[in-house]
Amino acid sequence: MTVRKTTPLAVVASAAALVALSACDSKSDTAGAAAGGGPIKVSASDTACEVSATTAGAGNLTFEITNKGTKVTEFYLYAEGDRIMGEVENIAPGLNRRLIVEVADAGKYQTACKPGMAGAGIRGDFTVTGGVAKQNDADAQKAQATKSYADYIANNTAALQEETGKFADLVKAGKVDEAKAAYARTRVYYERIEPVAEKFGDLDPAIDVREADLEPGQQFTGFHRLEKDLFKTGLQADSGQIADKLVTDVKELVTKSKALELTALDLANGAKGLLDEVATGKITGEEETFSHTDLWDFQANLDGSKGAITSLRPILQAKDPALTSTLDKEFANVQGLLDKQRAGDGFKLYTDLSQDQVKEFASAVDALSEPLSKVAEVVSK
Amino acid sequence: MLFSSALIGLREGLEAALVVSILVAFLVKTERRHALRWVWPGVGAAVLLSVAVGAVLTYTTAQLSFEHQELLGGSLSIVAVVFVTAMIFWMRKAAKSIAAELRGKMDDALDVGPAAVLLLSFLAVGREGLETAVFFYSAVQTAQSDTVQPLIGFAVGIAAAVVLAWLLYKGAVRFNLSKFFTITGVLLVFVAAGVLGYGLHDLQEAAFLPGISSLAFDASATLPETSWYGALLKGIFNYSQQTTVLQAVAWIAYVVIVLPLFLKPSKKTAPAPAAAAASKE
Ligand SMILES: [Cu+2]
Repeated sequence: MTVRKTTPLAVVASAAALVALSACDSKSDTAGAAAGGGPIKVSASDTACEVSATTAGAGNLTFEITNKGTKVTEFYLYAEGDRIMGEVENIAPGLNRRLIVEVADAGKYQTACKPGMAGAGIRGDFTVTGGVAKQNDADAQKAQATKSYADYIANNTAALQEETGKFADLVKAGKVDEAKAAYARTRVYYERIEPVAEKFGDLDPAIDVREADLEPGQQFTGFHRLEKDLFKTGLQADSGQIADKLVTDVKELVTKSKALELTALDLANGAKGLLDEVATGKITGEEETFSHTDLWDFQANLDGSKGAITSLRPILQAKDPALTSTLDKEFANVQGLLDKQRAGDGFKLYTDLSQDQVKEFASAVDALSEPLSKVAEVVSK
Repeated sequence: MLFSSALIGLREGLEAALVVSILVAFLVKTERRHALRWVWPGVGAAVLLSVAVGAVLTYTTAQLSFEHQELLGGSLSIVAVVFVTAMIFWMRKAAKSIAAELRGKMDDALDVGPAAVLLLSFLAVGREGLETAVFFYSAVQTAQSDTVQPLIGFAVGIAAAVVLAWLLYKGAVRFNLSKFFTITGVLLVFVAAGVLGYGLHDLQEAAFLPGISSLAFDASATLPETSWYGALLKGIFNYSQQTTVLQAVAWIAYVVIVLPLFLKPSKKTAPAPAAAAASKE
């Protein structure tokens, strides 16, 4: 009696197993579509095997085989060494059959029609391009991250170009007080994207070199030269020329940054690099020797670092949520300290900071620097 | 066009129909008609499942990966071999118990459980079912856009397979029990050997087992699968025109081991049905 009760269950169980097996394999063809569109048509006859495309991107490939011959045929996709990637048997004359096969690796493959289902078949070369399909998701996330960061760069370089133009005009017009007020505000856009500027050889030194770092024979140009003219020595005979050169250099930077292709790893390294800038230049007050507007730069570096991390956020969140929340906490901590030093629409001068306050900044930056240095490794995993 | 589709239909349908008809004939001959009602749910479940999965695979972008497909086909084949082999020896034992029964010593323990009948029918039909269903759908699709010939051919082939199996059943019920189980038993040994070889070939295609390219023979010129006799051979015995060494070794090993075991006159009971029939007179 109990046996009779359980038997239909056995069939249902096997049926469920079959369905489960097919369900676990089921996949949408978005990967195939992304890899290059519709099905690849295969026209098979008794003597020919015409394949409508001989290359495709890695992912799910769909072949649609039509048997136009008089013999029953088969279609195979072989990897090197005749390893079968997929096959359709028993394609009767007149029939269309579909083969969907997942090809994850780029490489050389072969298509084969076998009229009469015999022999090695009519072979054709088939090339699969692109990466490993299983990394598609990760790749898409990285592409999204770099695109988001590219937008951030574009916004800031546009503002930089505009503000630098205004600043240069003030310098050239001899409006020292207004130029002084514009100085730190203009630099913000530069300091946010400094890792990008550093990618273009001598553009960064031309725009941002400090007097103390000048190499023998190097001309003192850029923001800090104008800083000295405005805040210390008074405008010089060539201040206008320096301002013009700054405008030209910034324009070149904007043009070049548009063509720049960043990787997710660049973002991670840039985020860390900006914080190192804070530690080596701003906390020590060395960057703005004459204007003492280091905290403006500090804020801008922090913003830039956060901008890169924000773009990477989906990747970080997926791969290391703990690191992500640590970063959030430490960013907020540094920002909290900075907010205490606000004055007007900007910040207190570096020279107004107490020794303890500088120490407090230093330890907060160290605490943020530590998790930031792990980002590159997490991203490249 | 019509002919080659018909051959495929015949081939796909024949083996399943054959095993089911032998099973039915046996149940009828040994007065186990009560077990017949477990045959049809097994057949029905296999057909429904094949048709459903086939439809999903054909009309959606869902798919079984090639490896899983061959792995599933291959493992199902090997499970089917186990069941057909069990059926062979169960028939043999049951035939003896019939003799005992006629002597008034019926052995209930040998009575077949519904589970075995149901699973055997399910496996016999389900093993090739998926492939058949996918073929059927592509024939239907072609029929809508182009020509109905493949569909007609396929249907004719399946019908022919059922008719052949029915004829076999009709013939089989006419034999006396001894002859019946000897002939069908030997037939089933070869069927099971073919299924085993076919299953191993699937596993080789999925690169789960090695040796797909080391062929024992290639008879695609002399005895092609696409000829009517090749299709019959393939349908009944799972003949493969290109047989790998592993396939051939497994086929020979199975036949060499199982056939003598089956034919071995077991003590005094091998001629039992005849003797029993004689003693009853
Ligand atoms: Cu196969």
